[in-house]
Amino acid sequence: MMTFPLEDGQAWGRRLIRAWTVLALLTVVSVAAAVAGGLHGRSSLLAVLVALAASFIKARQVLDHFLDLRRAGSGWRTVFTALLLVILVGCLALYAVAEWRV
Amino acid sequence: MSDIPSSVAFAAEDVAADWGVLSDLPGNPLMWVLIISELLVFGALLLGFAVARLLHPAMFQTGQASLNVALAGVNTLVLITSGYCAARAVQVRSAGAEKGVRLSRPWLLAAMGLGGCFLAIKAVEYADKAAHGWGIETNTFFTLFYLLTGFHAMHVVAGIIVLGIVAWKNTVDNLETGAAFWHMIDLVWLLLFPLVYLLR
Repeated sequence: MMTFPLEDGQAWGRRLIRAWTVLALLTVVSVAAAVAGGLHGRSSLLAVLVALAASFIKARQVLDHFLDLRRAGSGWRTVFTALLLVILVGCLALYAVAEWRV
Repeated sequence: MSDIPSSVAFAAEDVAADWGVLSDLPGNPLMWVLIISELLVFGALLLGFAVARLLHPAMFQTGQASLNVALAGVNTLVLITSGYCAARAVQVRSAGAEKGVRLSRPWLLAAMGLGGCFLAIKAVEYADKAAHGWGIETNTFFTLFYLLTGFHAMHVVAGIIVLGIVAWKNTVDNLETGAAFWHMIDLVWLLLFPLVYLLR
């Protein structure tokens, strides 16, 4: 079931440029946070949260705009959001436990 | 000329086209099966990497400190730009048969070229590790590092070949399917990059 109307080529092109801009900016921000926010080779909590949040938003941008998942029903978008969250939140939880044990 | 009655042929086509819930997804449903499978495989590998980090914190801290974050960040920019080029190839292909093919090929070549840049930067990174004597058998960190990034790099090689094939056999369906494979590689890297390089 397609929930989005077909768009013309120019609007499609502009949407792809916006998605690329978001992806590039979030990449720069997460790298800058990791480089600037670290101490003695370790990431700060803020840098970790920025990196994982940026990863989630970037993955959603690729799914919605490059893979056009936005044209699918809300059920499929929920499935992919849940899958991304399981991976990223799982890794965050394991990272937090590792930091707590040190 | 087939001697199958047209009504039977249409019925067979209808059955073949019925993908159930997968029919809701844009593009080729089998590519989405592959995308979900790859996300599950790489998701499990990344969680395994996080568990190993939990078990060997000092080893992983030393190993991650040896990684070049800036170079990996540049590689991320290269890959997402390549994904943008593949998406633009699909967009311009909708312009029509001859014009669409003519417009889409430069975007596909750009996507393939940037994929090659990604591999070249990855080779520089591996060469640096090798120069320091850090190989796949050095310790658990480097075993997982090489397995994760190497497995992903092999997907990039396959993706470049797939993009080359769809640039040659340039139909809308082929292009959408080939580009979807490329975006899947992009998607996996966007999860791998922070977990391996940034969370230290």
